[in-house]
Amino acid sequence: MADAELFAEIREAQGRGERRVLATVADARGSTPRSPGAQLLLRPDGSFRGTIGGGCGEAEVWQEAMETMADGQPRIVTVDLTEDVEGDDKICGGVMDVFIERIAD
Amino acid sequence: MSEPQAGETSDDVRARFVEEVEAALGGGPAVAVATVIDPGEQDGLQLGAKLLVRAAGGTLGALGSPAIDEAAAEAGRAALSARPRIEAQTVYVRAGGELVTRRSRARAGDGRLMLEVFEAPGRLLIVGGGHIGLALATIGSTLGFQVTVIDDREEFANRERFPMASEVIAGEVDEELGKVAIDGRTYAVMVSRGHQVDELALRHTIGRGAAYVGMIGSRRRTGTVIQHLIDEGLPREDLEAVRTPIGLDIGAETPEEIALAILAEMVMLQRGGSGSPMREVKGRAPAGQDA
Repeated sequence: MADAELFAEIREAQGRGERRVLATVADARGSTPRSPGAQLLLRPDGSFRGTIGGGCGEAEVWQEAMETMADGQPRIVTVDLTEDVEGDDKICGGVMDVFIERIAD
Repeated sequence: MSEPQAGETSDDVRARFVEEVEAALGGGPAVAVATVIDPGEQDGLQLGAKLLVRAAGGTLGALGSPAIDEAAAEAGRAALSARPRIEAQTVYVRAGGELVTRRSRARAGDGRLMLEVFEAPGRLLIVGGGHIGLALATIGSTLGFQVTVIDDREEFANRERFPMASEVIAGEVDEELGKVAIDGRTYAVMVSRGHQVDELALRHTIGRGAAYVGMIGSRRRTGTVIQHLIDEGLPREDLEAVRTPIGLDIGAETPEEIALAILAEMVMLQRGGSGSPMREVKGRAPAGQDA
């Protein structure tokens, strides 16, 4: 469920000329932790509000989102949670496409 | 309408986007937003471009080609009227500007749009501030519902009892219900102190376009209430749509369990679930494999 406070933060950041990057789950196949529409808003200091999957794939998205923060280039990150990752207990499955855009700058 | 006005900077358009989405999430009219997440090989599509679509008609922004904007506006309006809601979906843009929603019908080179719907959370309207009303408010607010509680007894309808509610109303149930807005995102539950009050509340709730109207009680007693109202000449189809007995069958006994069963039914209707155990819907993973 999209979050009114998240959009209030975007509005305020736009007003102040601050950067924010929005990551949205655009598509999901299999059993993913969050459904399409889930959003995460990243701040220049790396902190964020919202979640697109908790520990599952969020670090990867965070890293790409920091790239978009710097270069302003929208991108899609495909997070494959079906891969066997060392140290991962494989509680996450499925594949999700996350769209990343600099929504305020 | 679909092009930025002369002299209007894209920053202005972007600010208006955010304002309209925020207003929709805060209780204003719902909006759909199409975003180009992959232009593919489709001429004109601009990566990251957005088109906001209002249910009443009218758009803001542009995706890159008037034909695609027109098709996306139509898809947006369809998404705004679809029940159950699809919060976000991928739409594929074919050569020529045709839009398809099935991945199986997409081809290499198709562009991709993300189509999102933004609207305020469901409103849980609870008539009756007793044990079940309290459990409904508690669990319902956790689920993201905006909670309104009405009771004619002030000791059951006050801020101290319902700190999680956005509105707590102590007053005559019929009178107060008349003042409360009821629409397609309202989930109304009659859990008052008695069937007379539930009947009164039902009379002032049905036929007003709520997404859900439910009434607690045994089949026999709620059947009597419904029959009463039918005999009085209230529309039969509205009364037959009332969810009673209320909730999903999870064997609920305590007020909290009953609230859970009722909210589970609401979520099922919102999301289009079956209400059956996942294991029966999806099948079991073969032994020795991860689910």
